[in-house]
Amino acid sequence: MDFELPGENHPARKAVRAWFEANPRPSGRQLAEAGYVVPHWPKPWGLAADSELQLIIDQEMKRAGVTPPRNPVAVNNCAQSLLTHGTDAQRARFLWPALAGEQTWCMLFSEPSGGSDLGALRTVARRDGDHYVVKGHKIWTSLAHKAKVGVLVARTHPDLPKHKGLSQFLIDMDTPGIRIRPIIDMSGHENEYNEVFLDEVRIPADRLLGKEGEGWALSVTQLQTERVALSRPGAIWGHGPSARELVEGLAEIGALQDGALRDEAAQVYIEGEILRLLAYRSLSDRMNAQTPGPESAVHKMLAAPHGQRVVDLAKRAQGPRGMLAGEQPFPSQLLEGEDPYNDWDYAFWFSPAVTLGVGTQEILKNVVAERMLGLPREIDPTAQLPWSETKRKA
Amino acid sequence: MNFSLSEDHLLLRQSARSFLEKEISLSRVQVPGATVADASYEANWRKITAMGWQGLVVEEEFGGLGLGCIELAMILGEMGRTLAPSPFLGTLFGTWALQKGGSPEQKRAILPDVVAGKMILALAIAEADGSVDGPCREASAQRQGDRYVLTGVKSFVIDATAADWLIVAAQDVQAGRRAFFLVDAKQPGVQVELLPWRDVTRQVCDVRLSDAVGEPLAMADEALWPWLRDRLVFAQAVENTAGTQRVMEMTSDYARERVAFGKPIGTYQAIKHSLADMLGQAECSNVATLYAAWALSESDPRASIAAAMAKAYTSEAYVSAAHRSIQIFGAIGFTWEMINHLYYKRARANAELFGNARAHRERVIGMATARAA
Repeated sequence: MDFELPGENHPARKAVRAWFEANPRPSGRQLAEAGYVVPHWPKPWGLAADSELQLIIDQEMKRAGVTPPRNPVAVNNCAQSLLTHGTDAQRARFLWPALAGEQTWCMLFSEPSGGSDLGALRTVARRDGDHYVVKGHKIWTSLAHKAKVGVLVARTHPDLPKHKGLSQFLIDMDTPGIRIRPIIDMSGHENEYNEVFLDEVRIPADRLLGKEGEGWALSVTQLQTERVALSRPGAIWGHGPSARELVEGLAEIGALQDGALRDEAAQVYIEGEILRLLAYRSLSDRMNAQTPGPESAVHKMLAAPHGQRVVDLAKRAQGPRGMLAGEQPFPSQLLEGEDPYNDWDYAFWFSPAVTLGVGTQEILKNVVAERMLGLPREIDPTAQLPWSETKRKA
Repeated sequence: MNFSLSEDHLLLRQSARSFLEKEISLSRVQVPGATVADASYEANWRKITAMGWQGLVVEEEFGGLGLGCIELAMILGEMGRTLAPSPFLGTLFGTWALQKGGSPEQKRAILPDVVAGKMILALAIAEADGSVDGPCREASAQRQGDRYVLTGVKSFVIDATAADWLIVAAQDVQAGRRAFFLVDAKQPGVQVELLPWRDVTRQVCDVRLSDAVGEPLAMADEALWPWLRDRLVFAQAVENTAGTQRVMEMTSDYARERVAFGKPIGTYQAIKHSLADMLGQAECSNVATLYAAWALSESDPRASIAAAMAKAYTSEAYVSAAHRSIQIFGAIGFTWEMINHLYYKRARANAELFGNARAHRERVIGMATARAA
């Protein structure tokens, strides 16, 4: 057992640092081709990197002031499925532009009729010659307005039980029949999330990912991968300020002189440090395991409410001034970097979302209790019935 | 960088688990009205010393195994898991104090006998209000010629009843500061009173000193105490973590079996979510404690903050898990015959010894902000 992180003289670090010195302003394509976007993937896309090398690459990229291409849905969730379930043609067409950030991806999963019960989704893909024709309504789709590629889960077999009749597709977001409408969330921000209407959208049959009926298994894997990807120290899904910045900020404004607040800050700080250690462990697990397991659900279950406590304490330290729109708690921590959650005020008003998105806290607790403690699953009375029958009843 | 236990560590833990499951029984303290006198202290200690665990952290030159905090955590964790009543902890604390602070002669005189299982130690550090960081108001040491004479009271001394030697913190009157003394527990000037401590799996005592002869340890308080404190609270974190894990396991076993309204109670989300929270606390306790074990074994500069974090976090996690366990078992979990209350009492007792969670959080925030500044 060794908790020491790789040091300054680690040979791998020297090599990575040399690359960034030779390529001080790399394009997304250069980063992708160097294997630095998904280092844990096999070659040629990644470097088959272990947790240590991945951490080094993360740190050296930050040190060089380089921001990796922003394409979270591809990089963190879905693109990995092409390695295991995609065709050669799909890999050739989609992977490099995705990793290079040239084509943004989005996930067409949740629907208005229900988010947690994803398996009950109603969007239908009907086979028509060498195409599928899709009709339905998706919601909470991050980045849909910027995306070139959508990963769609839709029902191809309405007469099978709900989890068995789903399939996944890689669709072009500019296909006729797709309409995107932004959702304005309670923070007042626009364009973080969208509704997507699919009206007789024709998809070439070779855009099917995996086989018909594999949509549920693929979706579950992709969501679990996301939970691992989210295991960074930032308060908002791993992004934005962490408990360390909170304590620095509170010290800076003198708020730690208040005994009660000081104790809460210590509590949040300790939680944050422990979650960092757990995140490193998840990283190790991710390297060792082929597919992420329920441990990633534990991390998200702990990290999401922790993040809420981080931004909550910062907000409370402001007193009534904190209720002014845009008011920041800590003068020295002002809107650095491209990460929108570095804005403490925005991060606070956004924070109710972190126990909703990517599995609500309640669903995560079910997953943890059922899969890690072996508690009995609650029987879903609709799970074994043909979906078409359950829909008629509903 | 590798966040997993090695095969050797896992094997060590497994062998300790098999041994304790076979050899240690709490059935006598599960009888209503049982006291610590029923906890089979001596019999358990004979079994444990036959395994040689009392020599785990003793350096090899004194016949011990010279192992570090990770290995210790494997064994001590299993004792925390089973609540195994024995003077192991007192002896461990005394061994640490003596090995770090004692002169070569003092160590040679005592440590080989500890390893041989012939000698039990205890560490007398706390004041009546539970404070351990000094100064010492309730016990003092006067130099008389080439020896010291100690008078006063030490509180909440773990395993003092069985101890042959005590390591006592007392105010050195001439020097005007706290110091540690090696005191023969069997001399007439030492009175040990076993306290009605609620955790009946552990002997906790007051020690009264009246002109008891003591020999100072070589190392000064300011060098010895920070080193020792990190290890004492780490040892508690190890017990807390293993206890939390055990409580979670037995409660989820029960929730899978106990049926109400036609279903196992673990089917209901109210129970499920409570157990998921418990699992989260167990995971956090585990990683915090292993990190502290690693930092202590490497003498890493982060060892103090790591130990304080582990103590602060695991104290409250254990109390919370043990309380939830009583709640989920329902009324049966509230009876003396069940084991739940023994874990709850151990959790509450550990949380109050050597500084409570809040006191250690105060240390953590102090260290964290000092580092940033």
